[in-house]
Amino acid sequence: MTANCSGAETDQRPSPGTATLQVRGIRAGYKEDDVLHGIDFELHTGEVLGVVGPNGCGKSTLLRAVTGLIPLRQGEVTIGGERLGNLSATQRARRCAVQPQIEAPLFDYTVRQFVLLGRHPHRGALAPATKEDRAAAERALAETDLTNFGARSIRSLSTGEWQRALLARALAQETPVLLLDEPAAHLDPGHRFAVHVLLRRMARERQRAIVCVSHDLNLAAEFCDRLMMMSDGRVHALGTPEEVVTPENLQAVFRCGALRVTPNPFTGRPGTVFAP
Amino acid sequence: MRTTLRLGLLGVSAVALLVAAVSLGPTQLLDLPRLIELMRSGPATPELERARLVLWELRLPRVLLAAAAGINLALGGLLLQAIFRNPLAEPYLLGLSSGGALGAVLALAAGATVVTWPALAGSLLVASVVLLLCRKRIAADLPSLLLVGVALGALAQAFTTAIILRFDPGALRSILFWLMGSFAGRGWAEVWILVPAALLGVVLVFVIHRPLDLIALGGESAHHLGVRVRLLQTGGIALAAVLAAFTVAACGTIGFVGLMAPHMARRLAGAPHGASIPATALLGAMLTVGADLAARTVLAGTELPVGVITGAFGCVFFLALLAKRP
Repeated sequence: MTANCSGAETDQRPSPGTATLQVRGIRAGYKEDDVLHGIDFELHTGEVLGVVGPNGCGKSTLLRAVTGLIPLRQGEVTIGGERLGNLSATQRARRCAVQPQIEAPLFDYTVRQFVLLGRHPHRGALAPATKEDRAAAERALAETDLTNFGARSIRSLSTGEWQRALLARALAQETPVLLLDEPAAHLDPGHRFAVHVLLRRMARERQRAIVCVSHDLNLAAEFCDRLMMMSDGRVHALGTPEEVVTPENLQAVFRCGALRVTPNPFTGRPGTVFAP
Repeated sequence: MRTTLRLGLLGVSAVALLVAAVSLGPTQLLDLPRLIELMRSGPATPELERARLVLWELRLPRVLLAAAAGINLALGGLLLQAIFRNPLAEPYLLGLSSGGALGAVLALAAGATVVTWPALAGSLLVASVVLLLCRKRIAADLPSLLLVGVALGALAQAFTTAIILRFDPGALRSILFWLMGSFAGRGWAEVWILVPAALLGVVLVFVIHRPLDLIALGGESAHHLGVRVRLLQTGGIALAAVLAAFTVAACGTIGFVGLMAPHMARRLAGAPHGASIPATALLGAMLTVGADLAARTVLAGTELPVGVITGAFGCVFFLALLAKRP
C-alpha cells in the first residue's frame, strides 16, 4: 500500500472470470427474524464487488452467512465450486478470508506475530512457520504499509493502524476469495485511497475475487467493478457503478433528498455529493 | 531465539526452586551433599534412614504435588483467559474450584473416601452453567462473566459451609484446612493422579496453542481462520474444569495461581501461546511450590494453608491488573 496516487493505471474492467463465489437465494438471520430475505449474486475471479446500503440492511449479516458463521435457513453458497456445507473449517479458511469489523485486541501480540496468524489454515497444528508463511506475512505487512510496525504491540496501535493489521492478516491468508467488512472505515484519506488501490491491484494481478462492504459510495463507485446495493435484506440493484449509483436508487435506498449524483470530474465515474 | 533462551532460564529456575523446596523444611535440612548421599547405596545408618524417609515420604511427594497443582491451575487460567477473551478469568474466580470443592464435600458427607469424581462433577457443573450463560450472551462481556463466576462460587461455598458444619469438630478442622488449600499430609496416591494429569494437560493445551491465539483475538475471526470455535470453547472449558477438579480433590481450593501465571508468562515469553504455554506451566509450578515453601517455613512451628499465601499475593496482583486495564 505504498500510496500510489496516480492509481488510474488499471481502469479497464476485467473480462468476467469464472464465478468463484456463488450465493443462491439465501435467507439467514438471528433469533426468529430473517435479516436476509433471499440474496443472489455471483463473484468472479479478478473482480471487486462493492456492497453498499444503509445501516442495518444486512451487509455484515451477509458476510456472516456466506462464511457459515450463522446458519443458512434457505438457499446455498458455493466457494470455488464446492458447497459451503461440504467444506471443512480448514478448507473453507483456505478458500475464503474475511476482514471482520474492528474487534478489540487482547494481549500484547506484536503486529508481525498477529499477521502471521493468518497463515493458520495452511499450517499443521504443531508446524513451525515455514519460509513461505513468513514471506506471505511480510508481503501483507508491506502491502498495508505496516512493515515498520512489525515489532509493535497490537495494543499500541491507533484504530486505523489496527484496522490495517486486520486487513494484513486476511491478506496473509492468501485465499482466492476475500471478504472485507468496511476495510477503510477508520482510515485517513491517504490510506483509504491506498487500500482501494491495493484491492483493485489484488483482483487484477493476483486474480483474487473480492467483496468489499463500504459506506463510502464515491470510493466504492471509483474502485469496484460492480456494486451491489442492498436494502432491507434484499438486493436492490446489482451492476456497474453507473447502473447502480443513480438518483432513483439512492432515493429509494437511503431516503436522503440531499444526496445527489455527480460524475467524478477526473474519471467520469459516478459519485455522490450532498446538496443540503 | 531470545524467547527460547528465556524459556530455558525459566526451566532452570524452576528446577532450582524444586530442589530448594525439597531441601528446606522444619524437620530436617536436606542440602545438596546430603541429597547426593541419599541417592547412593551404602551402609544404612538410622540417621540416614530417617533422612531418606523425610525425602521419599514427605518432601518429594509434597513438592511434586505442589508443582502439578500449580501447572493444572495455571493451564486452566490460560485456557479460560483465551477462550473467554478475559484477562481476569481463572478457575478459582469463575467458581470451578468451588464447584469441585462442593462435590468433594458432598461425597465426604456421604461417607466416600475418594473425592476425585464428585469434585469433577461439581467443577463440570459450574463450567457448563458459565458456558451456557456465556452462549446466551448474559455473561458475554468482561465484568459480567466474572460476576457470574463469583455468584456461582459463592453459592457453591454456601452449600459447602452448610455441609461441613455437620461434621464433628476433629473432621471439621482437617476439612477446613484442606479447603483452604494445602499440600501437607498428601502422599504418592495423589501424586500419581495429579502429575500425569498435569503432563497430559500441558500436551493437550499445547496442541491447540494456535487456535487459542486465534480465539483470544476474536471469536468471529477465529472462525474465518478455520477454528471450530464452539468445539474449542466447550473442549477448553471442560479441560480447565477437569484440571481444576483433580487439583481440588487432591489439595483443596488454591486461588489466583491460575490468574497470575499466564500473565507473568506472557510478560516473559510473549503473547503467542506456543511460547507462553510452557512458560505458564513452569511459572504455575514455581508459584505453588514457592507458596508451599513459604507456607511451611514462614511461621516456625506451625503451617499455613497454601491458599492463604496465594490468596494474599493474588489479591494484590488482581488489583494491579484491574488498575492497568484500559
